[in-house]
Amino acid sequence: MTEYTDKIKEISKRVLAEGRVEMVIGFRKGSVPMMNQPHLATSAESVDELVWDSNCGLNLANYITDKKGTIGIIAKGCDSRNIVTHVIENKIKRDQLYIIGVPCTGMIDHHKINAMFDSEILTVEESGDQITISGNGFSETKDKQELLQENCTVCTHRNPVEYDELAGNLVEEQKNVDQYASVTKVESLSADEKWNYFEDLLSPCIRCYACRNACPLCYCPTCFVDESRPQWVGKSQDPTDVKTFHLLRAYHCAGRCTDCGACERACPMGIKIREFTKKLNKDCQELYGWEAGLSLDERPPLDTFKTDDPDEFIK
Amino acid sequence: MKNFLEHTGIEPGRLHFSWISSAESTKFVDVVTKITDEVKMLDPANKKYVKTEPKVD
Amino acid sequence: MPEYEPKILSFLCNWCSYGAADLAGVSRMEYPPNIRIIRIPCTGRMSPKFILAGLRQGADAVWVSG
Repeated sequence: MTEYTDKIKEISKRVLAEGRVEMVIGFRKGSVPMMNQPHLATSAESVDELVWDSNCGLNLANYITDKKGTIGIIAKGCDSRNIVTHVIENKIKRDQLYIIGVPCTGMIDHHKINAMFDSEILTVEESGDQITISGNGFSETKDKQELLQENCTVCTHRNPVEYDELAGNLVEEQKNVDQYASVTKVESLSADEKWNYFEDLLSPCIRCYACRNACPLCYCPTCFVDESRPQWVGKSQDPTDVKTFHLLRAYHCAGRCTDCGACERACPMGIKIREFTKKLNKDCQELYGWEAGLSLDERPPLDTFKTDDPDEFIK
Repeated sequence: MKNFLEHTGIEPGRLHFSWISSAESTKFVDVVTKITDEVKMLDPANKKYVKTEPKVD
Repeated sequence: MPEYEPKILSFLCNWCSYGAADLAGVSRMEYPPNIRIIRIPCTGRMSPKFILAGLRQGADAVWVSG
């Protein structure tokens, strides 16, 4: 995907020069390998810092909430769906945005790669489908497909759904992937087993809230975990409190999550946080036939009332 | 929807929803009785999942 | 050993179920004493955090009724 970089720079420079936008939100190289950082480019010189490769897993829609002025934003499939969600939720106006669409072939998982090697990784280079990882005294080339983030392996919306211009040709969407394989597995467990499964899953959590901060959906002025009067969620490391946080966080994303994987990517402990949101996505899909962020004209299911809404759970 | 979230950990019998009009006192009594019976079937102490553990130290 | 008496935390809408509970009381109907009622202005006031906070603080079950 590195070939998009030049095109992205070209488009960004043009829209900035034309005065169509005041800044372009994209990525630049981070200070450590596999960690590209968001970059707000406002001039032709700073546009030159923009890059695009397989380490752009963060979700840039996070940076447009409640922004004034015009913004150019580089959007892969999931970013564009989150931008749509933002527009639907009145967090930004569509005409403030100039969306530079990037057809995506998946992002690589830095947790996975770091776990593969004992010593520090110094460079990660990409050419086509091959990723070369090297450090002090070792260098290995691997297929990108093996290194993808888990959400990317089951992604069915690689092409942006909403864009003003594309930085490359549309890619073929993945078909026949079982998006909800992990959820189905958990569903088949008994209540006790489920409990233990999630207990284990969350045991490393340190409540750093990186998942919340990375998530483009989390923009409440005061997050429920920071509320102290009344305080609904305990702030301790107690397993119950940790679980309450994760359940509520996931529930806030119900019908809005696009499975962009930013939460998992941001998690310093490598917790599979998507297990929660995934379940809710599956429910939305099954009950309302809804996938978040696909259209600007449709209201999300938890925002509308229909007489045929499922109500088996009500006595 | 809430119900389904509970499926990922807590037994379904611990959360109930219902819809009763202010004129339906009989339905109210019915539902209360039914829910109470259902909850009584659950294992009281052992299965009390979400609960703060008293810190001992 | 006395029979297990669960505590059921109940969120009742002021205009619907709370009214029904009131009517049941006025009509001297009998129902189990296990519910602990919290009156909410409308079921729209309900939030998942109330349910989790209730369970966390030891309720045996939660009942939401509109």
